Amino acid sequence: MEALHFLGDGFSIALQWHNIAFAFFGVLIGTAVGVLPGIGPMSGVALLIPVTATITSGLDPQSAAASSIILLAGVYYGAMYGGSTTSILLNTPGESSSVVTVLDGYQMAKKGRAGAALSIAAIGSFVAGIVSLIGLVLLAEPLSNIALEFGPAEYFSLMLLGLCAVSGLAGSSMTKALMMTVVGLLMATIGIDSVSGVSRFTYDNPNLYSGLEFLTIAVGLFALGEVFKTILEKDNGDGDIIKVKKILPTKQDLKDSAAPITRGSLLGFFIGVLPGAGATLASFFSYIMEKKISKDPKKFGQGAIEGVAAPESANNAASGGALIPLLTLGIPGSGTTAILMGALIMYDVQPGPLLFDDHPEVAWGLIASMFIGNVMLLVLNMPLVKVFSKIIETPKKYLLPIIIAISIFGVYAVQNTMFDLLLLLACGAAGYFLAKHDFPLAPLVLGLVLGPMIENNMRRALTGSDGDFMIFLQSPISLIFLIFALLWILIPVVLKMRGKNVITNEEG
Amino acid sequence: MAFSFDRYAAIIFIVIGACFIFESRKISETAYGSNVGPDIFPMGLGILLILLSLRLLFETRGTSQDKAATGALDYKKFIIIFAAAILYALFLEKLGYVITTFVFLTIGFQVMEKGKWLKSLVIAGGFSFGIYYVFVKVLDGTLPGFPVFF
Repeated sequence: MEALHFLGDGFSIALQWHNIAFAFFGVLIGTAVGVLPGIGPMSGVALLIPVTATITSGLDPQSAAASSIILLAGVYYGAMYGGSTTSILLNTPGESSSVVTVLDGYQMAKKGRAGAALSIAAIGSFVAGIVSLIGLVLLAEPLSNIALEFGPAEYFSLMLLGLCAVSGLAGSSMTKALMMTVVGLLMATIGIDSVSGVSRFTYDNPNLYSGLEFLTIAVGLFALGEVFKTILEKDNGDGDIIKVKKILPTKQDLKDSAAPITRGSLLGFFIGVLPGAGATLASFFSYIMEKKISKDPKKFGQGAIEGVAAPESANNAASGGALIPLLTLGIPGSGTTAILMGALIMYDVQPGPLLFDDHPEVAWGLIASMFIGNVMLLVLNMPLVKVFSKIIETPKKYLLPIIIAISIFGVYAVQNTMFDLLLLLACGAAGYFLAKHDFPLAPLVLGLVLGPMIENNMRRALTGSDGDFMIFLQSPISLIFLIFALLWILIPVVLKMRGKNVITNEEG
Repeated sequence: MAFSFDRYAAIIFIVIGACFIFESRKISETAYGSNVGPDIFPMGLGILLILLSLRLLFETRGTSQDKAATGALDYKKFIIIFAAAILYALFLEKLGYVITTFVFLTIGFQVMEKGKWLKSLVIAGGFSFGIYYVFVKVLDGTLPGFPVFF
């Protein structure tokens, strides 16, 4: 078992004291991000990239990359734990993947079983986190070995598939999602072309030579966009917070939720691996599945513990599963993983099949730290759930200006130019207006991250074939990817024409 | 005729797409050793963006107003904070981090909710000095701390 050997090495990195600290702060901040309504995992991760970049600046590049990705991934899966807290106590989901938890979680809280609901959510998330990590360990090597066989044509088609999958499932209008993807790809072309060295769309502005900085755009669109939304829409969720009394679930609760947790974890994991279908869809499907299997479907919506256990496990498993295409193929399947990928690229670590060979400490260190992080989250969430429920009461009037100040500080600390600050604010305003009118932002970021790679692979493939576009159809693997990409776009359109409801992934 | 946001956006994106196509024609055509130059990718994307925008125009035809009248938006607060943020960005280098951050946060807190001056000032001061101290003194980062003439 080679994987186990590597995992052991990973643990030796993850157990270094500073990495334990990074994992701890990651999951702690992640839980807070999940608890605070209005800051989702995407803006949380984006906001923290510059902060981690400054903290890790003293380390050598390899360990800096490992440490920051450990912290950022901690925010990502920590948010999945935290999201359930507001769903249960406040009847408002902290982030979109906890929307279905509201249905039964709030009802349980009203019946005085808030503690049981919260702890089952934490236990379910923990089990799911471990299940998806085991899947990740087992699948990482074989998948990246397959991917190593890919040439530029296959890669181009695979990335196209990733983009189509995310666009096909994001938001209410696929046209808008595809437009956002194309805009992201176009933005990625600004700067000096890495193949020919020709500068494109720079107009001799030195700020543009290295292209639009991914970090600035992501922080602007997600973090500032959400802040502006909260300021404009007076969204002061001052609902009554239900007090938590008894935390530990009863034996009956555990017995009732064991099977839903297992099913939710497995289902969530496989949905997470698919590009485009993220945590939100996973929690949704697992809730529907539990309702279908249940002997007594009527109790769902009235405080059934299964209705909390299954979706909370599923969204956590999906967030772990979503790391598989990112780490092994270099294809992010969702907005948040696209941001994680952007962070890795900032450290000159290219996610993809070579990651496990070139940067084993980053890849395996991350995986090992996620085991540790999940244990920390369980410990944090069970006894400290009362403390976290206090975070909900953080007054917005202090929080919002501080988020703006952190964004500006972070971008300035990394970029050191006024140009990036103004671009940041412009992206914030654009992010708000686009998101308000159902233009999904996740595909844009995905396009921006994948743009240079798609273009390079396309041009390398075309150079090899003397400009013959048929190369993408002649390679069987590439052809299969393209067919899947096409189906991903066409099937929802056909279903819509037949008047069926298509479930979309709001979080992306 | 009042256009909905989607139609305005579609038109703007058509213009953006057209700009990219037009400008990509200026990029020198062939790169060394390759017959697929740096202009093909942006040009193709520009065409795609225009086609998609046309499709959006087609989909939203007949809709003249945004369907959801989402209550009164708090534009006053937003514009003040946004303007303050722009000034913050513009003066960050000239006046230094500590002063601009302090002023921006104080304005921000007061715009969000008037009153409680002491608390606003203490939090704004603590944040701006705290970040500056940790970043510059502890982490050895570079940040313009105070105005040059200090």
